[in-house]
Amino acid sequence: MQLQQLLQQGLVWQGQQQQRHDQQQFVDSGWVELNQNLGGGWLRGSVNELQVAQPFSGELALLVPLLRQLQRPILWINPPAQPYLPGLLHQQIEHSPLLVRTDSHQHALWALEQAIQSRQFGVLLTWLPELSAAWVRRLQQAAEQHQQLVFIITAWQHTDEARAYVNRLQLQRCADRFQVGIKKRRFGWPLAPFVCPIDQLLPTRRRLVS
Amino acid sequence: MNAWLYVHAPQLLLDTQLALQTSAQQQQPQVLLAGSRVGARQVVQYNQAAAAAGIALHMAEVTATTLVAELQLRPYQVAHEQAILEQLAQLWYQDIAHIALYPPQGLLFEIASVLRLYGGFQGLLQQLQQRLQEWPIRYVVASGDTPLRARLLAQAGQSLLSNDADSVQQAVAQLPISASDLEPVHITRLQQVGITTIGALQQRHRSALGKRFGRAMTEYLARLNGELPMPQQYYQPPAQFAQQLDLLAEVSSWQQLLFPLRRLLQQLEAFLQARQLSVRALLLQVKHRDGQHTEQLIGFAHPVWQLKDMLGLTQLQLERQQLTQPALELALQAQRLEPRQPHHGDLVQASSEGAAPTQSLGELVSRLQARLGEQAVQIAQPQRDWRPQQVQQWQVWQAGTATAMAMPQLPRPLWLLTSEQAIDPQQWQLQWGPERLASGWWDDAPCQRDYYIAVDQQQRQGWIFHSEQGWFVHGWFT
Repeated sequence: MQLQQLLQQGLVWQGQQQQRHDQQQFVDSGWVELNQNLGGGWLRGSVNELQVAQPFSGELALLVPLLRQLQRPILWINPPAQPYLPGLLHQQIEHSPLLVRTDSHQHALWALEQAIQSRQFGVLLTWLPELSAAWVRRLQQAAEQHQQLVFIITAWQHTDEARAYVNRLQLQRCADRFQVGIKKRRFGWPLAPFVCPIDQLLPTRRRLVS
Repeated sequence: MNAWLYVHAPQLLLDTQLALQTSAQQQQPQVLLAGSRVGARQVVQYNQAAAAAGIALHMAEVTATTLVAELQLRPYQVAHEQAILEQLAQLWYQDIAHIALYPPQGLLFEIASVLRLYGGFQGLLQQLQQRLQEWPIRYVVASGDTPLRARLLAQAGQSLLSNDADSVQQAVAQLPISASDLEPVHITRLQQVGITTIGALQQRHRSALGKRFGRAMTEYLARLNGELPMPQQYYQPPAQFAQQLDLLAEVSSWQQLLFPLRRLLQQLEAFLQARQLSVRALLLQVKHRDGQHTEQLIGFAHPVWQLKDMLGLTQLQLERQQLTQPALELALQAQRLEPRQPHHGDLVQASSEGAAPTQSLGELVSRLQARLGEQAVQIAQPQRDWRPQQVQQWQVWQAGTATAMAMPQLPRPLWLLTSEQAIDPQQWQLQWGPERLASGWWDDAPCQRDYYIAVDQQQRQGWIFHSEQGWFVHGWFT
């Protein structure tokens, strides 16, 4: 029997057809293509990993549309610099940032877990090195139970060990375009990097003379 | 109608000390000795292990130590027992408003008004006993139609609880004259003339007794029958909370202090409950062998009054601390007392952003600060200043401190570096600028800078400036 015949008879389940999910679970990421690729947006009650080659390479700009819609405060744990009020306001992010600084990663994880359990925040942003599988699982369970949206911003990971993150994204700027690669997502296979137009939120860039 | 209740705790000091010991320690025979000279002291309080070994009240020290070689001896300190009695009164003040202290071991309650509230003696006793769950002291309770009758019964160990005045009067009449609380001289003389019970004393003519024993005897009888009212000085709880505990054995870590601390915090909870107060800071004081002491201030980001909150937050803060020397005494002082505020404000309802919060932001911040230090949790406060680094100031989080900032006219970066970093302008491509920011000539941090938006070699959009010192990057837009 030909594969086409099997498909026509509906005997083969195709992952790509499974695009419809309960829209209530998702928060609009603000980026059309990203929403599509993540199954509808950021999943509420999830831990997401953003891998960046260098700090400040676009990870915060990517989250600006998300942060704009929040009614609850944003928690920042160990960011690489100070969140800057005038800049946040300029991007219409109105909540005054609540900042937690810890002297060890263990304390940062503890603080993150406590904050997830309090259910006080719209989004929890944490900067950490690579996390153990056990910790990711534990945080993911907490985030799911308490319906909190958590981002772990970390360095570019070269290993492909499995982690319980709902989404694992690799952010990079390539040929003057900001690109998002999906290493893992809940609703589908990994995806090659695609362009995400974050520059439209930023001060106008002059095109590089190439 | 028996309107008086007397609680007599003959082993108050020892029982309180036992309550702080482990069960293994409690199994050791222990006694408290009273008396001025070492060697001529007598047993005044003893625990059950000592009683099982044959120790009895008023036994001489030498007899007791001969009988039980491993007996633990401690001096009886009346001042300590009196302080404990006040703590007991404070604990029960939550249930009964009229408490008179009979130091060092007795408390008198006026209960006419509260008997109905608690549904009779049984209900009242249950309520009193409930407060003592973590402080197991042995005590005798007796009721009486007059304060003196209730007291004599309790001191004689008869816990008669009844609403019937006659039965109380009969029970008191049968008490031996030695239990009458009269002066020892009088008791001996009465016994010599054959008056051996209080009842026999009451049957005598009062005028005859008065002639023989003086005015004190007639007054005693009048008080016994309630003919002469006894003015009571009712207990007034103190306005501040400061309590301390002897630790009996040296304690070398904060962890080990948590158990005795729990006792003190329990008293604090009762104190706060009675006054409808909350507390924002605790001062722990540990006294050492050489008279020195260590102090530890424990602050809370939100007002607390429940034992579990105070203990949990204190525990988190003490985990970060080391005790340099062993401790002998622990003292607790409540600071920054505040009237309780009805809960409101940051209790966000369940919304599209998730389930309703499980705790307030203040509670969370208290927990984080307790473990990580007060400076670990901060919030940005806008300032009226033109200099980029002074526009916001990081402050320790406090409830309700967020204020609004004016919308900036020109683009500003999402990130500000805490200290600007020198850069090589050759590696940056300018995109927009300059914006001149010159300000601060009035203080010692003047600044005159030309800010540009530029991208670095990794195509990251930064906020850089040029000043007399050269080129620097100060923030990032991404």
